[in-house]
Amino acid sequence: MVKLTCQHCGYVWDYRGEREYYATCPRCLYKVRIPEVKTRGVKEKLKRNIIAKEQPTKLTGVAGLVSKVVEEYQYRSDMLIQILLKLQKNFGWLPMEVLMEVSKQLNVPLSYVYRIVTFYKAFSLAPRGRNLIRVCMGTSCKVRGAQTILDRLVSLLGIGPGETTPDFQFTLETVNCLGCCALGPVITINDNYYGNLTPASVAKIIEKIKSEGGM
Amino acid sequence: MKEGCKIPRINSPEDLEKLREEILAKRDPNRPCVAICVSAGCSSLGSLQVVKSFREELEKQGLADKVDIKATGCMGFCELGPRLAIYPKEIFYFKVKPEDVPEIVSKTILKGEVIERLLYKDPVTGETIRKLEDIPFYKYQYRLLLENNAKIDPKNIEDYIAIGGYKALAKALFQMTPEQVIEEIKKSNLRGRGGGGFPAGRKWETTRNAPGEPKYVIVNCDEGDPGAFMDRSLMEGNPHLVLEGLIIGAYAIGASQGYIYVREEYPLAVENITVAIQQAREYGLLGKNIMGSNFSFDVEVHKGAGAFVSGESSALMTAIEGKVGEPRPKYIHTAVKGIRDKPSCLNNVETWANVPHIILNGAEWFLKIGTPTSPGTKIFSLVGKVNNTGLVEVPMGITLRDIIFKIGGGIRGGKKFKAVQTGGPSGGVIPEQYLDTPVDFDSLTKLGSMMGSGGMIVMDEDTCMVDVARFFINFLLEESCGKCIPCREGLRVLNKVLTDICEGRGSEEHLRIIEDVTETMKEASLCALGTTAVNPVLTTLNYFRDEYEAHIKERRCPAKVCKALTAYYINPDKCQACLICLRNCPSGAIKGERDIVHVIDQEKCIKCGICYAVCPFGAVEKISPPVPPPVRYGIKVKRKK
Repeated sequence: MVKLTCQHCGYVWDYRGEREYYATCPRCLYKVRIPEVKTRGVKEKLKRNIIAKEQPTKLTGVAGLVSKVVEEYQYRSDMLIQILLKLQKNFGWLPMEVLMEVSKQLNVPLSYVYRIVTFYKAFSLAPRGRNLIRVCMGTSCKVRGAQTILDRLVSLLGIGPGETTPDFQFTLETVNCLGCCALGPVITINDNYYGNLTPASVAKIIEKIKSEGGM
Repeated sequence: MKEGCKIPRINSPEDLEKLREEILAKRDPNRPCVAICVSAGCSSLGSLQVVKSFREELEKQGLADKVDIKATGCMGFCELGPRLAIYPKEIFYFKVKPEDVPEIVSKTILKGEVIERLLYKDPVTGETIRKLEDIPFYKYQYRLLLENNAKIDPKNIEDYIAIGGYKALAKALFQMTPEQVIEEIKKSNLRGRGGGGFPAGRKWETTRNAPGEPKYVIVNCDEGDPGAFMDRSLMEGNPHLVLEGLIIGAYAIGASQGYIYVREEYPLAVENITVAIQQAREYGLLGKNIMGSNFSFDVEVHKGAGAFVSGESSALMTAIEGKVGEPRPKYIHTAVKGIRDKPSCLNNVETWANVPHIILNGAEWFLKIGTPTSPGTKIFSLVGKVNNTGLVEVPMGITLRDIIFKIGGGIRGGKKFKAVQTGGPSGGVIPEQYLDTPVDFDSLTKLGSMMGSGGMIVMDEDTCMVDVARFFINFLLEESCGKCIPCREGLRVLNKVLTDICEGRGSEEHLRIIEDVTETMKEASLCALGTTAVNPVLTTLNYFRDEYEAHIKERRCPAKVCKALTAYYINPDKCQACLICLRNCPSGAIKGERDIVHVIDQEKCIKCGICYAVCPFGAVEKISPPVPPPVRYGIKVKRKK
């Protein structure tokens, strides 16, 4: 048993698997390195344990998580978009393993799933940070100075729109309209709305989140 | 609904009446009730904290079971949020902060006193106004659909039934045949509020008469237009109204399955409509044998995954099928062959929300509101550089001037009005000389713009029209699905040309290219996204040709927006050498010291505009063309006396 910490989402858990170098984070599916020293010897024991135990028949890991969602939608392939949205909400992004699992369980070609994922803006094929910042670039926010807010965020975080900070704390995105046009410029951070912003107030909000250690 | 409480299934119109009486009898009309707007707009200003501190304060004072707190939908005046209403005295407070809550509880709720400072204050006269009807923002409105947003809790079906909800459904189901319902809608001349203005009654009839079973009805709440949020507000604030309209429509058309397509970006709208559907099912207003009649109907919510083009009717239908939301050629209208090639009737949220009112009050009543060709009201989201931003609902036929100057309170900061943009990226801009045009479907189309879903973005003299056109084209370029070439390539060309003009590389040739490309796109695009994409370019070019020419011939941006054509310059006569701009400059382009007039190094300047924003003396000026007068470093400050 190894105690692992995910660099992506910060989740800490006891790894009981048999992998030697990388484990998959059960919460965000990010690949986590298994430290060399701690695992020696333990692995041998684990392997023996696993062989001794009977293999469970129900789906585990990614397949299990996907099957839960797919079951909820009664294996309907016309609900593909809804299923993917739900999975994206669970994982924060859509790893390849998930797409393959969805394609298998719904019995639709992987290319088809991939087409949907790349067509719609809501889906992300790259890992996203713990805090998702969405900057509204709608017409109303634009005439009220959304560009200065975005510029400020870019310089504060050191990443461009659509990118994630290396420590996975923030992801910056632009959206077309958040529907709060009367209060522009508007941003949302993890579904919390912040309106009537100025470059200075944005800096304060980001500072606050950083000091809280990423919410 | 409390746990263990038996849900009364409604099996006849009499049951509904009985339930309504029961609910009303249970409620004490004199019991104080605080209604707080928690729609996305107000919650960004902290209304959720206000609700929380209300709960805590009432708990502390031991009033928790004597005062009702309602978290309602949007009340319109987003500018002055969070807004709350205290019934039964009908006191309205604006800009409420959590710190104000103890005072409100102890003064207004317990003693009935009014707190002057939280009332609406007229920005011009400085007077406080107590009555909602006297506030200019509300005075000129006709709030047919939005009225009840402030009165009901969207998550509680009993609130909706108490104010007469589902009465129209009972009337349609038990006193009218489907043909009569369609006839009534046709007579009322209700036109699609999604933008096109197609008569809803005719659409319903086409679907009803089309061969094929099952038939579908769809609510389009994929409100992708930047600058528009009325569908969101209706969905968040009064989901049962939309649902009731949908059920009546399904009955008239003979549909057995309905879909509600909501943008994923509106989490609260998704939540509220899902709760509403669940409650309607429990009360027997959805599902098998609605209200004990022979009519069965059910609804499913689909979330849109963020594609603007999916708001187009045929694209939306493919999205509901779980495919990529791309439009298809409409040789056969979707009303005949829509979802899974079955007849499908799609209408906008606002259109459906009008239906219960028409059924209940009759077509004659509806025709009295608005103009004969476009009856009824329309909700606009009045945003941009206007004093009172928010949702306004006005009768059709009101002039743009009334909306912007009477309801909107004029332009922010006393600047000059330049244009108003209606209809989102598919609409166009309307300049000052047409401000007295009545707002209805046909007049706006004549001006080259369109009603659209109802976004109304006001622009002042600081907005560059070429930049606006470029913004919309850039938006549409990203959102175009790329299926048909005129739209995909046309937008790419337009974007390039407009960017060139904005960045000072424009030539006369460019204007000719714009005219050529827009012509082709208008004729040959597959769906409305392409054919209307040219509107923002054509209208700006028509009405503001001088601005295009200034960009091209003089390399000058009259509004001083386009970065490549402007420069910042410190006026030596005004500069007080306070070092503020110097400290704030992110690129270290400002040189200066105490008592020496600051100078901007144009080579280093990145034109971020921070110095312009922070200068307390207004000494930093924007100039266009970007050729500042020659400056010498070392001029002594001229102090103001």
